[in-house]
Amino acid sequence: MIQWLVFFLFSGIAVLSALGVVFLPNPIYVILALLSVLVSVAGLFFIAGAELVGAIQLLIYAVAVTVFYVFVLTAVPWEKAIKKDPFYRVEGLISFPLVLALYVEMVLVFLIGVSVSPKGQFRELITKFGNTEVVGAILFSKYFLAFELVSLVLLIGMIGAVIIGRKEAQTYEDHSS
Amino acid sequence: MKTIPLEAYLIVSIVLFGLGVFGMIVRRNLVTVLMSMELALNAVNVLFVGADSHLSLVDGQIFALFIIALAAAEAAVGLGIIIAIFRLRKVDSTDEITDMRG
Repeated sequence: MIQWLVFFLFSGIAVLSALGVVFLPNPIYVILALLSVLVSVAGLFFIAGAELVGAIQLLIYAVAVTVFYVFVLTAVPWEKAIKKDPFYRVEGLISFPLVLALYVEMVLVFLIGVSVSPKGQFRELITKFGNTEVVGAILFSKYFLAFELVSLVLLIGMIGAVIIGRKEAQTYEDHSS
Repeated sequence: MKTIPLEAYLIVSIVLFGLGVFGMIVRRNLVTVLMSMELALNAVNVLFVGADSHLSLVDGQIFALFIIALAAAEAAVGLGIIIAIFRLRKVDSTDEITDMRG
């Protein structure tokens, strides 16, 4: 019962803040709403029993990535952008039924996939050792190559961000308008 | 102990993902488009972890960790591109970047 209560609390906060992310006009309010979504999604992870993923969500997403977004928002001049209409209204109305059809398809595919997938493989292990130990054991045995590849992707991303973000000697004018 | 059923996680995840994709389409501002993308990635994470607690597996949590790492890399590169565009071009919405139009 208390589990349902906490689940509805966190999912309600997440959905409300996601509405804020999509529909608030000011970028600073949008980043605050995104922070609220991230924290409540971490709460959902804790309810689901994934303590490691919840903690990493709080540490990396809700701290590092959000602070990074705030830095970018302070580095960019927003005065002109705030005055304009922040939405594509007509395009949004046209694309809405297409997006809805896509979701119905996703739900069907997911439910079919759940009905045929294996069930309860690690339940005794999780109750015996705890979630984090089991995740670590599987991560460093079955998914070890993928783990190393992720570290390589992070290195490449870091180098790319430094190269893209460095100062260039000249600026280019916008010829299209 | 009775756990939350999979359908509840599915509903939350679908709603969050839908709002994320809708925000990517509707938003005119580059940084808010990236934030909507983070919203969609988080929705996928919710579904992975919820399916994990339903099936008593841990593979979904490992994939959620991978998604978090890749989202951090994506945020770094994407925001670097946005800062470069702002510094070089002085544009402020996505419909002013039309150089690739044929």
